[in-house]
Amino acid sequence: MPSVEYRGMSLVIPENDSEWREHFRLARSHRLMLRACAACGLMRYPPSHGCPWCASLRWAWREVGGRGAIHSYEIVVHAIQPGFKDWAPYPVVLVELDEQRGQPTEHEALRIVANLVTPDFRPEAEASVAIGRRVRVVFQDLAEDFALPQFVLTDEPPEGRVWRFPG
Amino acid sequence: MGSLSDRYCIVGVGETEYSRHSGRSTRAMAVEAIGAAMADAGLGPADVDGMMSYQSGDSTPSDWVAPDLGLRLDFYMDVAGGGSSTEALVGLAMGAIEAGMCRTVALFRSMNGYSDFRIGGTGPRAAQPVRALDLALRPFGMTSAGQKFALTFMRHMYEYDTTSAQVAHVRVAHSRHASQNPKALLKDRVTVDEVLASRWIVKPLHLLDCCLETDNATCLIVTSAERARDLRPRPVHVLGVAGRVSKPRTDFHWAHGPTTRVAGYHARDIVFGQAGIRPEDVDVTGSYDAFTFTTMLQLEEYGFCAKGDGGAYVSSGIIELGGRRPNNTAGGHLCEGYTHGMSMVIENVRQLRGRVDDYCPGAAEGRHTYDYSPGRCRQVKDARIAMNLGWAVPSTGSALILRS
Repeated sequence: MPSVEYRGMSLVIPENDSEWREHFRLARSHRLMLRACAACGLMRYPPSHGCPWCASLRWAWREVGGRGAIHSYEIVVHAIQPGFKDWAPYPVVLVELDEQRGQPTEHEALRIVANLVTPDFRPEAEASVAIGRRVRVVFQDLAEDFALPQFVLTDEPPEGRVWRFPG
Repeated sequence: MGSLSDRYCIVGVGETEYSRHSGRSTRAMAVEAIGAAMADAGLGPADVDGMMSYQSGDSTPSDWVAPDLGLRLDFYMDVAGGGSSTEALVGLAMGAIEAGMCRTVALFRSMNGYSDFRIGGTGPRAAQPVRALDLALRPFGMTSAGQKFALTFMRHMYEYDTTSAQVAHVRVAHSRHASQNPKALLKDRVTVDEVLASRWIVKPLHLLDCCLETDNATCLIVTSAERARDLRPRPVHVLGVAGRVSKPRTDFHWAHGPTTRVAGYHARDIVFGQAGIRPEDVDVTGSYDAFTFTTMLQLEEYGFCAKGDGGAYVSSGIIELGGRRPNNTAGGHLCEGYTHGMSMVIENVRQLRGRVDDYCPGAAEGRHTYDYSPGRCRQVKDARIAMNLGWAVPSTGSALILRS
């Protein structure tokens, strides 16, 4: 790596990148690993230098199950990036992971932005996307040491009210 | 700020044409806008000794502009920024003057936001390499402002049953205001049905939920109330200012909800506290209408209605000319032109002077008909207090309260 080509974009991760490099390398082994603070124990995403709660700079990678629910979403109809033009319409989802929900305060959670895809990494059909639906992580391999975490729908019963944009 | 409340003024405003084809440099446009603001204030080259601007690698810095106006500066600073910069820079200009660094500051934003660096993110910027924190979003086809904000809008619809039709009223109101504005790029009034029938950009946003991209330069001049007394136009006083106030987790604001909360939640006590007023005291607002939804979210968060009632509020007629508290009376970024926030402050300054440049024959002398039918008046009667709600992203915003 210093650079991975994906949909016409260069994803640049130089040797001195101290946040993302390991994250995507670990994803290539098909594990979703988050940074967990060695002082307060809380995990965070995206990978950051310091702990957003206690500011400790000590941390270790911790694996999470990669399951969660759609907290919000959007359907991109008019793609901006040239490499996404032939992929539109595509869903972008804000996934809330099962671990650490409502911690350390009720409004906080481990949330991740990704695409909702089919098992063969095409955009999931718009009619299937809804807030509250359950999802699990899948890994889109892009290079020998780089995979992109994405999400697919699961058969698990949805959480709370399932809501789909009526438009 | 307490002690600085009411001690600084905006004394000059100016802008270029709003177009999609300026055919000239950001330097040339900045010179025109600053020159217009200086003329408006009655200031000569020896009277302006400070300059500030904001940009994102798409404009001309102060030190290249000042010589074209015959200015020698004792202070200048060009900062990186888009929306929410205007209000913040008003506060910083006050600080520079208070610190004795200079006496009078011209703030400008100059951009070829359509013909050169497309604000919507299309063009060369769309294919640029992705690195660092952008890796959390751009690999997933999330790069434009609409794409970055839509998760917040969608969650608001889920939590509060907000509808597309309610929010479309923001576009309707601003289009009606633009029809009274000779400078507005889009002067046609639109209906809710037309907004809902316009093509999808990123659901829940239709095309007409989104602002314009335009070429233009805008300028405000800030000085002390003491100096303002000697100047020709009626000075507009700064009662309160909040700059780039943020939610927690600015690296990834969705980590710390509520997802529907925006920065105004944190800014409102700062700005209303300085001003010593309440939302009910405000006569006219200037929201950051990058999208219809951003207006709704800001009006809620600053307390003009209860959280969650924004859809009902913006569709009630209150925000239209003739309503209790009109918003973006020049048409805003949805209809007048896109300036990263400065044009809405310019409009509010003119409102407070009673000198809005509408189609009233006596507008320049402050004679208005208050007839808000198409192609007529857009002056708010007896406007005394105006407020600007600056927005960068859902998690960062600024605010400014002005009085006549």
